[in-house]
Amino acid sequence: MPKEVVIQIEDARVEMEGRTILALDHLEVSRGERVAIIGNSGSGKTTLMRMLKGYVPCQEGKVVVMGDVFPIKDTQKMKTHHRHIGMIHQHFDLIGRETVWQNVYHGRLGYVSLLKSALGICSERDLQICAQAIHEVHLEDKQRRFARTLSGGEQQRVAIARALAQEPTILLADEPVSSLDPALSEDIMDLLVSVCDAYELTLIMSLHLPELARKYADRILAMKNGKIMWDGSSDSLSNDRICEIYEFMGTNGVVNGNGTRASRSAFTWPYGWQGQPLPGG
Amino acid sequence: MTPPDWSVWDVLLTSAVETLQTTIAGTFLGALFAYPLGVLAASNWTPVWVHLPIKAFMAFVRSIPLLLLALLFVSAVGLGPFPGVLALAVHSVGVLGRFVAEEIEATDPKPLLALQGTGASSLQIIQHGLIPQVLPQMVAHLAIRFEMNLRDSTILGLVGAGGLGFYVFLYVKQFQWQKSGVLVLAIIALVFAGEFAAWQVRKRLI
Ligand SMILES: Nc1ncnc2c1ncn2[C@@H]1O[C@H](COP(=O)(O)OP(=O)(O)O)[C@@H](O)[C@H]1O
Ligand SMILES: [Mg+2]
Repeated sequence: MPKEVVIQIEDARVEMEGRTILALDHLEVSRGERVAIIGNSGSGKTTLMRMLKGYVPCQEGKVVVMGDVFPIKDTQKMKTHHRHIGMIHQHFDLIGRETVWQNVYHGRLGYVSLLKSALGICSERDLQICAQAIHEVHLEDKQRRFARTLSGGEQQRVAIARALAQEPTILLADEPVSSLDPALSEDIMDLLVSVCDAYELTLIMSLHLPELARKYADRILAMKNGKIMWDGSSDSLSNDRICEIYEFMGTNGVVNGNGTRASRSAFTWPYGWQGQPLPGG
Repeated sequence: MTPPDWSVWDVLLTSAVETLQTTIAGTFLGALFAYPLGVLAASNWTPVWVHLPIKAFMAFVRSIPLLLLALLFVSAVGLGPFPGVLALAVHSVGVLGRFVAEEIEATDPKPLLALQGTGASSLQIIQHGLIPQVLPQMVAHLAIRFEMNLRDSTILGLVGAGGLGFYVFLYVKQFQWQKSGVLVLAIIALVFAGEFAAWQVRKRLI
């Protein structure tokens, strides 16, 4: 069976304030893939996702997401496009003074008319979808709590449920675990991957740690200065390869030869700039 | 002013009720216009040719002293509490609208963008994202505005716009100090009660 391509990008360029922030020669993502994007902060991971979401326009090139050819001018079409692409964020971005249930219900807003949502009329189907999404992230017992009273990990689970309620085809996760501690990160990553399997979603996530990318993705993109420097299956991304990539990436979250994280802070490269040998590499 | 002359009890009751009614009507009429105008005046929500004129209008309205506004409305619609209501309403639009705009401008936009990302329309984003985030502050401001309007409306009578102040002024002109003294006490009690009520509201919110 030929793979269905859900994202197709050729020679796309995003410019902001006269600067080229994203320059993608070629990128294709098939339905059901699990892609991780790694790269220094400022390398354009967020901008790539925002472009796919339709928030930032690309100046030239060809971008087709689920059959929608960019740029999408019609607002109604843009709403539909938004619905198809769920997104979760580093800081969860929930409405803190609404309950967990309400936040999940926000995922349905793209489907209900203004009048119905204003009057609080929920269809049986909406209720069922929200309940299923909440069940999926194991938050049944916290449905009535205000979102801001939950812990970080729980808030990210609410955000995942909200995205699921959207019934998306693609799920974008922009540094989903960067503000969570390591043990919790693994829980959220496990959950993310399992719901993507259950809902047959295409997952594209940016991750600050290469080891998370290797563990949870089947394909890894490495970005630098708005360009994709490496694109391949996570199996083929050997430790040596990571060293090589991070060498030209200028080391944020350096992985040394043993595959462990050496440094997380930005631009603390103790051995000079490009072309220098990595410790243990 | 002593001893107080309690024969004004009837006047006191009716005019205190009138002051209270004027305040409530003026504050809520003002709020009715202040909220939508405040949303339109938020610089991160509307283009500059929308929010700038509205901001300027609200600043202009705020700059007119309340008594002057009342005087203008008295000359336009005649004596009584009605011009008082209008004066308070217009003044409240200027003050409340500015708070609303500033509160919206200070709201974290990221959760709202996330809502937009679900496919929600602008009005749905306002209803489900913006309003829940700013509501407590809005109610707190409304309570403060009510408290201040109550204080201000007690003297609206000076220019013929009804309420307790009108009788205070009347008795002062007739040198009936004992009667006016009672009414001044009533004003103090009323303002104090208003302040207490507003404090109770805010305490529950924050
Ligand atoms: N709205 C914007 N206006 C101008 N420059 C921007 C804007 N958003 C991002 N950038 C720039 O684009 C580059 C990539 O940013 P970003 O996509 O956020 O990187 P990452 O998510 O990989 O950390 C950065 O240099 C950043 O300064
Ligand atoms: Mg980013």
